[in-house]
Amino acid sequence: MSIKDKVPVTILTGFLGSGKTTLLNRILSEEHGKRIAVIENEYGEVGIDQGLVINADEEVFEMSNGCICCTVRGDLIRVLGNLMKRRDKFDYVLVETTGLADPGPVAQTFFMDEEISSEFTLDGIVTLVDAAHIDQQLGRSDESSEQVAFADVLVLNKTDLVSDDALDTLESRLRDMNRMTRIIRAENAKVPIETVLNLSAFDLDQILKRRPTFLEPEYPFEWTGVYDLDPGKYELMLEEGPDPEMSLVALVNQGESEEELKDGAESSVRLYAENANTLEPGNTVPYGEHVNLKLENKGNKSFILNIEKPSKIGLFTQHTAEEFNMKVIKSDENKEIPFNTERFWQAEHEHDDEVGSIAIERFGDVDPEKLNTWMGRLLSEKGVDIFRTKGFISYSGNPRRIVFQGVHMLFTAQPDKEWGNEPRRNQLVFIGRNLNEKEMQEGFDKCLI
Amino acid sequence: MPDIEPFSPRGMFHEGWTAEVSDYAIACGWALKGKQFIVGDVAGGIFAFEGDTGKIIWKKENTHSGGLLAMAIHPEGEIFATSGQDGNVQICNCHEGKVIKTLDLGKGWVEHLKWSNDGLFLAIATSKKVYVFNEIGEEKWISEDHPSTVSAITWANKNELATACYGRVTFFDIVNNKTNQKLEWQGSLVSMELSPDGDIVACGSQDNSVHFWRRSTGMDAEMTGYPGKPSHLSFDDSGKLLATSGSERITVWSFIGNGPEGTMPGELCHHTEPISSLAFSNKGMLVASGSRDGSVVASFLKNDGNGDPVGAAFAGDLVGAISWRPDDCALAAVNAKGVVNVWKFKVRTNLFSKGFK
Repeated sequence: MSIKDKVPVTILTGFLGSGKTTLLNRILSEEHGKRIAVIENEYGEVGIDQGLVINADEEVFEMSNGCICCTVRGDLIRVLGNLMKRRDKFDYVLVETTGLADPGPVAQTFFMDEEISSEFTLDGIVTLVDAAHIDQQLGRSDESSEQVAFADVLVLNKTDLVSDDALDTLESRLRDMNRMTRIIRAENAKVPIETVLNLSAFDLDQILKRRPTFLEPEYPFEWTGVYDLDPGKYELMLEEGPDPEMSLVALVNQGESEEELKDGAESSVRLYAENANTLEPGNTVPYGEHVNLKLENKGNKSFILNIEKPSKIGLFTQHTAEEFNMKVIKSDENKEIPFNTERFWQAEHEHDDEVGSIAIERFGDVDPEKLNTWMGRLLSEKGVDIFRTKGFISYSGNPRRIVFQGVHMLFTAQPDKEWGNEPRRNQLVFIGRNLNEKEMQEGFDKCLI
Repeated sequence: MPDIEPFSPRGMFHEGWTAEVSDYAIACGWALKGKQFIVGDVAGGIFAFEGDTGKIIWKKENTHSGGLLAMAIHPEGEIFATSGQDGNVQICNCHEGKVIKTLDLGKGWVEHLKWSNDGLFLAIATSKKVYVFNEIGEEKWISEDHPSTVSAITWANKNELATACYGRVTFFDIVNNKTNQKLEWQGSLVSMELSPDGDIVACGSQDNSVHFWRRSTGMDAEMTGYPGKPSHLSFDDSGKLLATSGSERITVWSFIGNGPEGTMPGELCHHTEPISSLAFSNKGMLVASGSRDGSVVASFLKNDGNGDPVGAAFAGDLVGAISWRPDDCALAAVNAKGVVNVWKFKVRTNLFSKGFK
């Protein structure tokens, strides 16, 4: 049976009060043309309006081998096993889990049980978080961080109760934990249905399209200023700031629209990934390069910007202009040129959450056998701590890219579209607890040809 | 749809009759000593056919709102019971299909029904509870809550009922309301069969193994290495052979001598897709298997569990259930499309090479 014939299943997780039932009702009322079966576990809450609702006790069945990765939800196997027999089959199944549920066994059920995996496909895991309470919940319980880690979509609900600043901080914390997820802000669980259903959540192209820099979702710079400059010589002048140095990328022809700023930011992220050339005061700032301005000396420090033809220059700076009282001055007129546009970015910062994402991105081909050995060993040793794996791989000699997806130590590798003219590369994301990024990257590098 | 080409009945299978029910057929059985064949479909349709001709005798639809989950025909064959997602059990008369008694057991799905061998009791499993009623629908016993949903029930002997759930098999004396024995083992038990003498308990487990216990000695063993979960188990009438399957292969354990521990099981590989139903004949060492690919095969087994196919037929689609007629001279198979096939089962001779008249 091809994946198209299988009935898609969405798992809805989230703590009590995060708005799961509201979202369920919204889906059922907006998708009334479809036959949706709801498998619900929390009794006596707000009622479900319509649709076929099946109550099932969450029965988490561990196996005698003691492996948590083999743990499945027995109730789902029974209920879905019956549902799939109806001639008037369901178009869609929604599984709501209790707030305290570990999403692992639910997801694993769709990999582990052959009868279920032959008829159903896990479309996605949608986790609702209560914007006002998730911060404390994340600190207190493993379940809530696991629910965040497993999510394909995170609905940041009840945003009306929290300030925009707090939401930004929260979003970046959640993003740190799970870099693959799509975050949607909502009031009263009001989200467009297409953002939570029929995701084919494992379709990486979609993820990549949504977030071209999903591997670097936070920026290594905090500020961008775009300056309209005529030909001539300019000085970039800075005073003392919080650091004795500051990284910078200067881009020519930087547009001012949000989209153009984001494009510029993406290029800058890539440039920031390269080693910086150190510039002493008086040096000329090159364009399209990562530089590190030395700012140890007291007083004003100037760096040179040369403009040959009228241009918009974008400065992507590690810290905000304000912190160093940074100015652009036209040398011959000794006149300050103000920026046309400024944009602040969510800067990288450290969180102490144990749960996080690791991304591996490498160009080239891998040796399938080496990769299999490495993945097999990695997942058998760390499978308990690795919640989700997604990505694609370029197998040497294979014209198609290979799509990987996994839950704990279970994973599938399937051939996907042909590479064509695209440069062959590998992108893997692991979400888990206490993962050793360096070790994993080194392990992967050994699989490259 | 199955990938295999349709084929005419072969070997000891001969054309019989076919009929249709309204939806995916999930349960079937012979009543009135083989004179009648009853089929239940997933939507709650119940159909009774003449055993010899397939002529419809009566039918009723929507017996259980939400759908049918189980059906069990009384050993005398005069009455049968059905249960469904509506939390009800209906005890009905086979002749006209009339409901004699409806038992309302609450909200949970009623997934398992078993008549005791003497027909005095009907055991019913719903969620974590098991009930026992008598033939006329009077409640005789209720279990306490099991630790998880009851996944299988079967009668060990006259008054003793075995139940399986996550982590254990329990034996209850339902007349004296006491627990006779608990066999514990951490695993999700998805199927259970007892040898005819009630001594050997075999359970298929979600972790792709078969676990069994000998009640008399307390010995237990685990048979691993199945490619899928062994949902289908069947003992032959002598209790010598246990056929098991969780894939397209059938593995047969022989309990003769010191076996099956340390012995090689018999393997039957006749199907291209996983087995969806498995049943020994009422007498003798003939095992019939139906597969998701729509094929049905009967195999004659030797003491070591190995054997050869003696007949095959094509049921058209995933085989939902199979049932040997009480005299073993016919085998019925019902499929996921609601098609009923009954084949004569006899030695093919030159005179009757076209089979059934």
